[in-house]
Amino acid sequence: MSALIKTYGRGMTALFFALVAAWILLMILAPAFRTIQRAFIYEDRAGATAMVAIDIDRAYTEKFQLDQEAADIRALDMPAAAVTPVVPSMGVPSMGTPSAGGLPSLPSAGGATAMSLEERAARLAAIAARVAELETAIADLEAKEDTSSGEAGMQERYSFENFTTMSGIHFRIFLLTLLYAFCVTVLSFILCYPVAFVAATTESRGKLTVMLLLLVIPYAINELLRIFSWVMILEKNGILNGVFDALGLIDMEAGEGIRFVASNGAVFLVMVYAYVLFMVFPIYNTIDTLDKNQLEAARDLGASSWRIHTRVVIPHAKPGIAVGAIMTFMLSAGSIAAPEIVGRGLHPDWFSQLIYRRFFEADSWNQGSAYSLALLVACVIFIFATMRLFKVGIRDIAK
Amino acid sequence: MSATAPSIPLHPAAGRRRRMAFGDAVLNAYVLVFFAYMFLPLLFMVAAAFNESPTPSITDWQGFTLKWFAELPADTRFVQGLLHSLIIAGGVIVLSIPLGVAGALILTRMQSKANTLLYTVLVSPVLMPGVVLGVTTMIFWRDFFSVQAGLLTAAMAQTSFIASYCMLMLMARLQRQDRTLEEAALDLGASPLFLFRRITLPFLMPTILTACLIAFLQSIENYNTTFFAIGSSWTLVTEIGSRMRFGLSPMINAIGVIFIAITIIVAVTHTLLTRRKG
Repeated sequence: MSALIKTYGRGMTALFFALVAAWILLMILAPAFRTIQRAFIYEDRAGATAMVAIDIDRAYTEKFQLDQEAADIRALDMPAAAVTPVVPSMGVPSMGTPSAGGLPSLPSAGGATAMSLEERAARLAAIAARVAELETAIADLEAKEDTSSGEAGMQERYSFENFTTMSGIHFRIFLLTLLYAFCVTVLSFILCYPVAFVAATTESRGKLTVMLLLLVIPYAINELLRIFSWVMILEKNGILNGVFDALGLIDMEAGEGIRFVASNGAVFLVMVYAYVLFMVFPIYNTIDTLDKNQLEAARDLGASSWRIHTRVVIPHAKPGIAVGAIMTFMLSAGSIAAPEIVGRGLHPDWFSQLIYRRFFEADSWNQGSAYSLALLVACVIFIFATMRLFKVGIRDIAK
Repeated sequence: MSATAPSIPLHPAAGRRRRMAFGDAVLNAYVLVFFAYMFLPLLFMVAAAFNESPTPSITDWQGFTLKWFAELPADTRFVQGLLHSLIIAGGVIVLSIPLGVAGALILTRMQSKANTLLYTVLVSPVLMPGVVLGVTTMIFWRDFFSVQAGLLTAAMAQTSFIASYCMLMLMARLQRQDRTLEEAALDLGASPLFLFRRITLPFLMPTILTACLIAFLQSIENYNTTFFAIGSSWTLVTEIGSRMRFGLSPMINAIGVIFIAITIIVAVTHTLLTRRKG
C-alpha cells in the first residue's frame, strides 16, 4: 500500500481501491452472497399464505376470462355497426338482429353469435355483476395477504429444503453431468497433448506459426457455431447419415436415419470438439518453456518415448495441464449451449438446463439458486482437487 | 528403448534415430488428423451457407446462392441483436479496462499478506461456470436494485469475468516494468497524476489496446453467461442460439461464414504483425 501511495499519491490510490472494492462487492461477492442466501430460503408453496395467493390468482384469472368474453360480445356488435353507418356509436342496441346472422364466420365469438340481442345484453349484465363481485373479493384477499415475505404469497424460511427436495432424477442428472464433464476433460487431454507437444518442440518457425494459427482460428470461432457445425453432421438428415446412406447401411429415402442428436453421447462428443482447444494452449505454453536439451539428454541416456513423456515433459507441463483441465471441466459442466443446441429437447436434460428451467419455467428462483450453488461447489471442489493433484498454486493457475 | 538398445550394440544411435523419425512421422500424421477434425465440420457449415436448399445441408446440393446473406440485413432481430451486442461490448470495455488497471496495479505494487486472497477473489469469476455468473448477477440486480434482467445485467455479468482477463494481461505487463523511470520522475517532482498519465499509461497502452480487443471479442461471443443475464432482451449470439434451437436455417450458416471470415482476418493480421515485430 505504501509503495502505491508513494508513487501515485493518496487520491489515485484511493481511486484504485475504490474501483477494486466496487468490482468485488457489486460483481463478485454481493451477487454470490445473495444467491447463496436464496439457495437456503425455502418458499413454502402449500402453506396458508400460499393458499390465499392461489385464491387471488384464481379470482384474477376468472375476471380476465369474463372480461375477454364481454369484449368478444361487444366485438360482435361492432362490425355490425360498421355495416350501418347511420348509427356510428357501437354500443347502441337498435341495430337489426340480422347483422348477427350475417357474421357467422367470426371465430372468437362463436358461442355468442348464437345468442339473440337480448340474451347478449343479459349476459353482459351478468358478467358485469360477477366482475364487480370478484373485484371486491380480490380487494378482501389482498388485504389479508401477508406481504412481509418476498415472493408473492409464499411463506419463506431458512432451510436446506431447496437441496433436499431435489428429486432423484435431478440428482442423477447432476452426477451424470459432472461425470460427462470429467470424461470430456480426460479425453480432451489425450486428444490435444500430442498436438501441444509437436507445436512446442518443433524447430521450424514456419511450422510453428502455421500450427498456432490453425489452433487459434477454431479456438476463436464462436462456440455456438462450432456446436452448430456438428449438429449439421449428426442430424437425422445430416452428413453422417448421408455417408451411411451412400455406404448402403441405411436408406434415407425411406426415412431411415439415426437420430444421433437425441443422445447424451452426441452432446458429449460435441462438447469435446467445442472445448478441446481450451486444453491445447495452456499445455503448449508450459511445454514451450521446457529446456529442449532435457529431451535430448533423456534420449541419449536411453529413456523410452513413454518415459520421456511421463518423467520429463508431463511433470514440467503440470501447471498447464491443471489450467487446461480446470477450464475444460468448468466449461463443459456449465455449458448450456451444447445440450440446448445439439438435442433441442430430444435428449435427457443436462444440469445447466435444469437450472434454466428452475428459473424461467418453474419460476422457482430459490431452487434455481440452490442448483447453481451445487454446480459452483462441484467446480470449486474440482479446482482444489486438481490443484492438489498437480501440486500447483492459484498463482500458477490463472496466467 | 533402454531394453532394446543393447541388442544392436554396433549402431545404437542409428537405430534410435530411425525409431525417432518413425515416431515423428506418426505424431505429424496425428496432428494432420487433428486439424482435419477441427476444420472439416466448419468447412461443411461454410459450404451449406451457399446452398439453395432451405435446410442447411451439403449432401442435398440444390445450387449455389448468396440469398441467405442477402436476407440477413432485412432480419430486424439479427440487426437489433447486433446493436445490443455492440452496446454491451462498449459498456464492458469501458468498465473492464479501469477495473483491470486498478486491480493489476494494486496486486503488483502491494506487498501484503492479503495479496493472495485478493488475487483469488479477483480471478475467481474466470474459474466460475458462466451459467453461475449469469444467474448471480440476474438475482443481485433484481433483488437489490429492482433492475430486471436486460442489457445492463448482461454487461455487468460479462464485466465480472472479462475484467479479470484484462487484469491478468495487465499484470503480466506490469511485472516487466522498469520502475526506475517512475522513481526518477518522482525525484524530479512529477505529480502522481502526471506520472500516471505520462509513464504508467503509455507503458501499459499496447496491453490496454489488446485487452480492449479481447474484451470486445469475449463480450460479443459470450453465450452461457449472457443467456441467463439478458432476460427477455437478446444479443446477436443469444438470438443465433435461439434460432438454432427452433430449427436450422441457412441464415445461421451465413452468419457463421461472416464470423469465421472476421476471425480468420483478425488472427492472420495479428500473426503477421507479431511476426514482423519478433
